Amino acid sequence: MALTVEHFSRTYATASGAFTAVDDLSFTVDNGEIVGLIGPNGAGKTTTLRSLAGILRPSSGRLRIDGHDLVDDPLEAKKRLAFMPDEPHLFEYLTVAEHLQLMARLYAVDDFARRSAALVDELELTGKEQSLPGELSRGMRQKVVIACGLVRNATTLLFDEPLTGLDPIGIRRMRNTIVARAREGAAILLSSHLLHLVEEVCSRVIIMDRGRKVADGTFVELAARADLAAAGSSLEQIFLQVTGHDREAARS
Amino acid sequence: MFSASLYVILCSARNRLRVRLRRLREPRYLIGAVVGAAYVYFSFFARLRMARGGNPRRRGSAAAPLYLVSAVRTAAPGVVGLALLAMTALGWLLPFDSGLLEFSDAEIQFLFPAPVSRRGLLIHRLLRSQLGLLFSSVIAGVVVPSASGVSRVRVGVAMWLLLTTGKVYFTGISLARARLASRDAKVLRVAWLPLVTLTAALAIVGVAIARAFSTPPTGFQDLLIRVGTVTTSGLSSIVLWPFIALARPLFAEWAAPYLMAVGLSALVTLATVAWVLQSDAAFEDAAATIAQRAQQRKHDTVRYRVRASALPLAAHGRPEFAFAWKAATETLRIFGRQAIIRLAAIVFALTMTGVVMGQRGGLSAVVGSLALATCMFAVILAPQALRVDMREDLRHLEALKTWPVRAAAVVRGELLWPGVLLTAIAWIAAVVAELLAAGGPFGRMSLSWRVSAGAAFGILAPGLVFAQLAIHNAAALLFPAWVPLGHQRPRGLDALGQRLIMLFGVWLVLIVSAVPGAIVGAIVWFAFWRAFGPAAVIPGALVFTAVMAVEVLLATEALGPAYERIDLTGVERPE
Repeated sequence: MALTVEHFSRTYATASGAFTAVDDLSFTVDNGEIVGLIGPNGAGKTTTLRSLAGILRPSSGRLRIDGHDLVDDPLEAKKRLAFMPDEPHLFEYLTVAEHLQLMARLYAVDDFARRSAALVDELELTGKEQSLPGELSRGMRQKVVIACGLVRNATTLLFDEPLTGLDPIGIRRMRNTIVARAREGAAILLSSHLLHLVEEVCSRVIIMDRGRKVADGTFVELAARADLAAAGSSLEQIFLQVTGHDREAARS
Repeated sequence: MFSASLYVILCSARNRLRVRLRRLREPRYLIGAVVGAAYVYFSFFARLRMARGGNPRRRGSAAAPLYLVSAVRTAAPGVVGLALLAMTALGWLLPFDSGLLEFSDAEIQFLFPAPVSRRGLLIHRLLRSQLGLLFSSVIAGVVVPSASGVSRVRVGVAMWLLLTTGKVYFTGISLARARLASRDAKVLRVAWLPLVTLTAALAIVGVAIARAFSTPPTGFQDLLIRVGTVTTSGLSSIVLWPFIALARPLFAEWAAPYLMAVGLSALVTLATVAWVLQSDAAFEDAAATIAQRAQQRKHDTVRYRVRASALPLAAHGRPEFAFAWKAATETLRIFGRQAIIRLAAIVFALTMTGVVMGQRGGLSAVVGSLALATCMFAVILAPQALRVDMREDLRHLEALKTWPVRAAAVVRGELLWPGVLLTAIAWIAAVVAELLAAGGPFGRMSLSWRVSAGAAFGILAPGLVFAQLAIHNAAALLFPAWVPLGHQRPRGLDALGQRLIMLFGVWLVLIVSAVPGAIVGAIVWFAFWRAFGPAAVIPGALVFTAVMAVEVLLATEALGPAYERIDLTGVERPE
């Protein structure tokens, strides 16, 4: 398994007491698999992704990348990981090319020049190599973050709303990029509110609600579940029924 | 609009206060607020109480001659009036605006499309600015050296009228500037009118001043009398009247003269408000320009420029150097290589001139003192000010934490560039100070002492700089909630208190960490003193710096777990 999550929980301390964002979550993602992580706002998707990226420490449970525990063996785990967040956090004083160069140095990428040139072309960043993030549009900055993630040979890719800010051509290219990486053998966990994207590219889907996993399986498996039979085969209907928003949707 | 505006203002003020009070549930803000309040109390209010009780030292001190006090009091409104006229002229010349047209994002989003007149929007902004103006007026009333509470209120009211008029007038300038870009001849004529009037006023006052000062004044009293002549007689007194009317309440006696002065000052304020409300036609253009500028400031606090050649980064190597490369790139993009070369050329030219003139002192003494001050600044204060380390990278923690780099290496990498830069600055400045020592601050020292002290300082500098940087970065990692992110400048009593606690804590830790090195260094110096004389300070400094270096390295290793544990939710958040 490229990605293993075992009984993962994450609790935040707030002024009004402890708040559990993710509660006892377990799942795996195989090499070459694209798994969609969906759920309503506040379901715990981003907390899960940020914990898997090594940004947040789990309150309990185990997170493993290619068998390397993110808490006990963080360097080996992080070397195999690429996280593409929904909000592009870039160093405002480094150019696009320098961001890629820095990543290559930190991740010890050998064929940097070739990979970098191919990525710049693939993500339509040609001509923007010497631009600072402040000179780029939201969509372009998002592409830079994705390029930084893809410039190294990561075996596990985590995407949080990867299509935010992209134009229709960019969306199509990004979709192809994600699928191509899975074909090359990467394990991909993709979080998005765009259910049609999840339906189109993911082979499996995990639905979260209020910090807990409420469904996990392929579309066929989910549609075949007895409690979801009424929902039909549409992911949207399955999502609404699983999260208990189907009656609300029907009323509106 | 008036009631809606008041509703927005009161709700915003109430909610801001509520947020501030709610934050006090967290110990970091509560402790900060207590320390901040204590600082304000002992800095201002305790002084007020002392003043009210009567300071025996002050009472005992020699009073100024009565005739001089009287002359100052008579001339003061005129002098302030002249200053206000000068500021008014500068307001037209400099790209400065009052902030009244700086609408917030929410105001632009909700109020601009709403069925509200431009005048209504201006009144809203004017009302909104009152909280800040009232606060400034209260502060002015508190700090004024006076024993009576009533006189503080009087000063506060006078300041409020003055500040309100200034704010409104500068808004009028922004609107007039926008109208000057119009192609409509009628609009242009109206736009030029205040500028022509002001130019005429400046010419009249300028001529009156030139006449009054055709011969140099014989003394301070004569100077005041001549200013009085300019401000109270002839055409210049008419031109200066509105400015003096605004200044007079600050100095008028209670009660009738003060009330009369306040009435006239309020009249000037109302006239200014009426002028601005009449000239609201260029509102959209002016508001758009100012909003654009404010937006740019908000998102682009520091402007970076990319140059043709960037600093090279090797494909392989220790991660610490990658961090140093990142920080160095940032620094060079703020300052620019050309600026650095120019600065270096100026320093070199000044140094050489100073060396040549060294025999006579003069310039060399000035440059030498300047170099010494730079040197001290680089070693003592700059580690706190230069934040191109973890203090700034807390903003990018989300990216940093995904990198496969050992935590201790991250901490060392963050220290490396600012440490090297400040050490280099300190060394260059020290060499300049040494070269100019004969005419400069070390003029009375013997050559052996000068050379030994200079060398010892050069050895001590990196130890002190890196130790301070390590402490600041440790504070950022151990107490991230207390460190402002990036270019944020948190306000309020709690933020003031937090800053004071941090400053005190950093200095305390620095002193404690310097003790072992200082003791061992002193022993070495004492041991070699008889044999080597002044040069014994060099091995002493070497030992001190070695001890500090070990401490810094141990600190970076010890901070590793803190970096691993640091929680993004604990990082200081904007209000």
